[in-house]
Amino acid sequence: MPKPKLKPEIKTESLVSAAPKWNVVVLNDPINYQAYVVMAFMNVLRIGAPEAKKLMRAIHAEGRATVWTGDRERAEMLSLELQQWHLNSLLEQDG
Amino acid sequence: MTKEARTVLTDLLRLIAPAAARVTVNRANVPAADEEIAGFWVETLTAQASEEARLLSVAFASAKGDPAVIVLPNEAQALAFLRALSAVRLALRDLVFADITDAQLESAEDLDDDSLPTEQRHALACYACFGLLQQSLIAQLNPEAFD
Repeated sequence: MPKPKLKPEIKTESLVSAAPKWNVVVLNDPINYQAYVVMAFMNVLRIGAPEAKKLMRAIHAEGRATVWTGDRERAEMLSLELQQWHLNSLLEQDG
Repeated sequence: MTKEARTVLTDLLRLIAPAAARVTVNRANVPAADEEIAGFWVETLTAQASEEARLLSVAFASAKGDPAVIVLPNEAQALAFLRALSAVRLALRDLVFADITDAQLESAEDLDDDSLPTEQRHALACYACFGLLQQSLIAQLNPEAFD
């Protein structure tokens, strides 16, 4: 007698979890001028002057600010580019 | 820039520019978890800072006229010059003004520079001059950057 065809029981579960986000943080420094920091943000982060100034003011007021959040590879690249502008940047895992 | 000022700046740059790359790397927060990335990171910073220090020295040495004028042929060079000035100011801060507080340095005019040794006095003048050059360059490149 032929065995009945059984539909294989397939269990699925989501293996895809959201990749962790990384923050690019810039610390205040007393050497670089504010306009220079704004220039650096405009060039590296490709943002306009108003947004760059907002970030610069946050760093000046708080001592540090997150200037970008996203995937690790891009965060590393941006942090390196900011350091090439001699800004004090570092990477932190979000959350 | 007068001839005398150019001589002082060029002499100082000859001394400090090679150290600027080292200071840049020492100050950097390099992600240490991945050895390969850390190596690439340090190499990139060193190569760029060295190249920019060279650009700065050449620009000052080849400045023409009295008062001397530095001509930067394109925006890329102007941005590199801007960054190089920052590297040299950071190197001066770390290597020459280690015993001066940030607040004193920020308001350099309040410093009693007569009490400083000649070399430190010259370095202080250069530090301020490089800052003024940066501001002047930014005003030409992107006046929007100022508040």
